[in-house]
Amino acid sequence: MDKKKIMICDDDEGIIDVLEMILDEVGHTVISVNDSLKVQAAIDKEQPDLLILDLWMPRLSGQEVLKHLRKHSAHQQLKVIVISASRDGEQVASDAGANQFIAKPFDLNNILESVNALLN
Amino acid sequence: MTMALDASISGIIITDNTQQDNPIIYCNKAFEKITGYSRKEIIGHNCRFLQAQDRNQEERAILGKSIAEGVECRVEIRNYKKNGDLFWNELYMSPVKNANGEVTHFIGVQNDVTSRKNAEHDLRQQKLVMENRIKERTKELRESEAFLSSIIETVREGLLVLDPNFNVLSANNHFLRTFKVSKEETVGRQLYDLGNHQWDIPKLRDLLVKILPTNNPVVDFEVEHDFPHIGKKLMLLNAYRVEFEGQFKDQILLAIEDITERREVEIRKDDFLSIASHELRTPLTTIKGYVQLLERAMPQDASEKFLSTFGKVSVYVERLNSLISELLDVSRIQSGNMELHMAQFDFDNMIAEAVDGMRTTVPGHQIILNGQTGAKVLADESHIAQVVSNLLSNAIKYAPDSEKIEVNIANVSDYVKVSVKDFGLGMSAEDRKKVFERFYRGVEIQKKFPGMGIGLYICDQIIKRHNGTLWVESEIGKGSIFSFTLPKAGKETNG
Repeated sequence: MDKKKIMICDDDEGIIDVLEMILDEVGHTVISVNDSLKVQAAIDKEQPDLLILDLWMPRLSGQEVLKHLRKHSAHQQLKVIVISASRDGEQVASDAGANQFIAKPFDLNNILESVNALLN
Repeated sequence: MTMALDASISGIIITDNTQQDNPIIYCNKAFEKITGYSRKEIIGHNCRFLQAQDRNQEERAILGKSIAEGVECRVEIRNYKKNGDLFWNELYMSPVKNANGEVTHFIGVQNDVTSRKNAEHDLRQQKLVMENRIKERTKELRESEAFLSSIIETVREGLLVLDPNFNVLSANNHFLRTFKVSKEETVGRQLYDLGNHQWDIPKLRDLLVKILPTNNPVVDFEVEHDFPHIGKKLMLLNAYRVEFEGQFKDQILLAIEDITERREVEIRKDDFLSIASHELRTPLTTIKGYVQLLERAMPQDASEKFLSTFGKVSVYVERLNSLISELLDVSRIQSGNMELHMAQFDFDNMIAEAVDGMRTTVPGHQIILNGQTGAKVLADESHIAQVVSNLLSNAIKYAPDSEKIEVNIANVSDYVKVSVKDFGLGMSAEDRKKVFERFYRGVEIQKKFPGMGIGLYICDQIIKRHNGTLWVESEIGKGSIFSFTLPKAGKETNG
């Protein structure tokens, strides 16, 4: 598999750590942002191939991040996987324009499968 | 003349009022008979001897006055026979005057009216008894009315009684307090004219109008309105035709419950549980992730014990996750906020995935899937899959000594039917009745398998919301079959 640049945006350090470990293990470059207000700037700067985005975050929700990304940014085509522990997360994610939704608690195999599917 | 007087059945005496103390100078046979005295014991006495010791009768004054003034009179007076027996004497006294107009004699005509007096007395007694009874009855009624009105005034629910034209006949204190209105501006006015016409709601009008002709009550009708003094309120209305001793009256009892706060609390509880479940799931996700990372880094030579322990951690992470989901589900079902995302899906696929998922989690059990429907079903797939998984995990949990579980799927009319059969403990008739109730746990079950008793309640609610049916057949020691039906075309009504 090609080495790709994947950005993770989640306010929970534990989740970031787990995702970094698994994605690093399969050879991707991982950049993490734990503050959703900074994610847009980070995307502009790092130009990731894929964004893994949490929904329920303080200050700015993943839903708003995604809506903004799809409407105004130069990265409208950026592949986004939304991960959430909310029951209605799937609906919110698809309405906001996510490519994929994965419920928390997730299975790492599901994460890897989705990442592969979206990047190839 | 004497013979004629003797033939009379009335006792007759004549007194001589020219002599001192007005002695009796004549008495007829009937007088002897009535009094029991003989002529010789009568003549020469004043009439008063008949009164014996009973001298304080008011009638004596009338007699005295009549004699003094020389006028006639009529009295009923207690007299006593020779043998001492009381008799009521109806006495007419009439003066006899001489040519100068002076009273010389009195003629007394007497009748024994004891039996009439007794009858009158009995009647009076009877009347007295009746009056007392009425008094008692009235007191009882007053007491029960007071009892009733103390209830009506104490309940934490506004109550109005309406006449057939929806005019308010009475309003209890709670109603007046809740809506900050006075009795004067409420009683006697039409419901729809009250306040700023807040009760003038077309749907409520429709429902109320039907009560008297059909006796159909209005049950749990929700009204939200912005009231002038008290702000926005959510009301629950119930209305019934008043019934008294089995007879319907032309009156409507309208009960108004303020559920504003209750609804707010329900929403807050839902919000709280949403946040709590979200917050609980986040570290759970991390735990699960680390476990899986460790699993991937598992050394080749790891022991069996090491591997199976790892497997168990995953099982309990899943169990904790489903407990969190169940709590949230129960809260949403209770507050009516369970949302169904209806979409068409391949039913056989969904079942196969649920069965496969369970096979992976509990590889020790043999789950046999029989039949196919080929059906596309319009339902909330994730909720239906949740029901199937719940039935499967119950079948595994409650059949610890049996490894076989049968899943049957079939088309029945315009429904699909799923049955999950285990060969485990089974349950009693009582447990069968209550197994779908919230927080119900069979006594024996609770000893061996602790739990919250909400899984089957949620399943039942989900299937009901889809207009399907969930039921159980079971026998102690032989196992249970949980089955549900689901309309393929989706529930007919929304709501």
